[in-house]
Amino acid sequence: MTDTVALDPNRHVPAAPHPGFGRTLHSEWIKFWSVRSTTWSVVAMFVLGAGLTTLVCATSAEWLASSEADESPASFVTWGLMFAQITAIVLGTLAVTAEYGTGMIRATLAATPRRGAVLAAKAVVLSGTLVVAGTVTAFAGYFGGNFFLEREGIGLALSDDGVLRSMFGSGLYLAGLGLLAAAVGLLVRHTAAALSIVLALVFVVGTMAFLLPGTWGEWTAKLLPGNAGSGVVTPVSFNPELLDPWVGFAAFCAEIAAVLLIGFLVFRRRDA
Amino acid sequence: MITARGLTKRYGTRTAVDDVSFTVAPGRVTGFLGPNGAGKSTTMRMILGLDRPTSGSVTVNGRRYADSPAPLREVGALLEARALHPGRSARDHLRWLAASNAIPAGRVDEVLGLVGLEDVAGQRVGRFSLGMGQRLGIAVALLGDPPVVVLDEPVNGLDPEGIRWVRTLARTLAAEGRTVFLSSHLMSEMALTADHLVVIGRGRVLADCSMPEFIAEHAASYVRLRSPQRGPVAELLRREGLEVASVDDELRVQGRDAAAVGELVGRQGLLLHELTLVSSSLEDAFMTLTATSVEYATRTDTPTADTPAAGTPIGALR
Repeated sequence: MTDTVALDPNRHVPAAPHPGFGRTLHSEWIKFWSVRSTTWSVVAMFVLGAGLTTLVCATSAEWLASSEADESPASFVTWGLMFAQITAIVLGTLAVTAEYGTGMIRATLAATPRRGAVLAAKAVVLSGTLVVAGTVTAFAGYFGGNFFLEREGIGLALSDDGVLRSMFGSGLYLAGLGLLAAAVGLLVRHTAAALSIVLALVFVVGTMAFLLPGTWGEWTAKLLPGNAGSGVVTPVSFNPELLDPWVGFAAFCAEIAAVLLIGFLVFRRRDA
Repeated sequence: MITARGLTKRYGTRTAVDDVSFTVAPGRVTGFLGPNGAGKSTTMRMILGLDRPTSGSVTVNGRRYADSPAPLREVGALLEARALHPGRSARDHLRWLAASNAIPAGRVDEVLGLVGLEDVAGQRVGRFSLGMGQRLGIAVALLGDPPVVVLDEPVNGLDPEGIRWVRTLARTLAAEGRTVFLSSHLMSEMALTADHLVVIGRGRVLADCSMPEFIAEHAASYVRLRSPQRGPVAELLRREGLEVASVDDELRVQGRDAAAVGELVGRQGLLLHELTLVSSSLEDAFMTLTATSVEYATRTDTPTADTPAAGTPIGALR
């Protein structure tokens, strides 16, 4: 333990360059992938997203091809993404609240005092992972599910209206959900609380809101994040009342940006 | 070099750190001593830019911690050893820290070896004992080979061998010219490790002096005499240039040990009924100093410096 060099006690770090954002990003990347929950969440996303899509297409193909069908097969090729949403929310929440739960946030901010950089690096790592994992999941679900749809003669080509958009839209939407969950996590700093808020907002409030009366009720429902954002996920949505896919997604992004901004302002001021 | 100037931190109406100023100089171990809740950890968090001071400032090597381009290379800190994700391995924990400050990846295994964790580096830290967690925390502090090392309660949870290891480490780091700032609520531990002391109680600095000064001032020893000839004995000793205080029916003499005082008195043929060396321990001195400032005081009376029963020879502590 004595084989360290003698030091000028008043030295600043000799020629140490500012580590820069790339270092912070690399650091967050290692942090993100060195816990098992990340791998498990991504695996769960794939299994739920691609697996359930394939399963539901396999079991519904015959009905969809029959004259009784009152839904479009195009609503089914990303069906499993409904459940994959949960894993994106879990992943986003944990990326932030796990640090607060353990107190590790202090180590993070001692290593990188620029809090904006920490937050940006977390956002890039999280959303990058979710875009890729979500898109891969959507494609896998499409190929799996479409196999059964094609056997009934109702298959969709990738070039069909909205199909490719829904593939990449799935990745983008899941990334957005993850960021929303991370921002809420930053505000409440508690895993269970953050998870409850976001899951309730997307799955419960989002559905119930369509029962609200009047024009304002309709718009509230349309603009809730889970409803506004999820339009891009399916070629044809089950819910005809949603906003146009990209219009809704733009609103969704604006909402995430607002929550992230509030989160950042609080995070910047707050004692770690 | 750590410099705090008028450092103050309030949480609502509670003042955790109250106008604290001190300097931690390089090349020696500075002990930061105070009862639990005295403001030690809050002060250390402010040094690291984690908590924002209500007023005042603290700088490390002349600038705010947060302004350092690669802070881990400038200040190594152990704050809470258990503040780790239980599912991450020790090596991965060090890897992400190293990456954030552009510290070469090879340094990770170096510090793991330094703290004796190389065999368990791949294990998830949730399985670590308190002592292993503490060692990992110290590995984190040493990761950037920093000229300033800040350790908050580093011996908590360590076994005697580990405690001795931390002590040696702190002294070695200081001998290399580094600034070492070490907090503890245990005076006895400090007495063995620190060269300089900053004592804090209820957020205020109670003492800022070298260890020998602290001992001389707060843990002074004296020779207690009882004699049927108090007057002549006191006069004799004063003539010899010794400090003599008369308390109740006893005389307290400072400046010589018991044997020398006894010989002086005996040569003059004066009678003595008691001749005792009374030395209070540093622990007692610390308790006395902070007795009025402990936040969660118990009802038992704290032993004071003139309680002979609690006295121990100072030599045993140094």
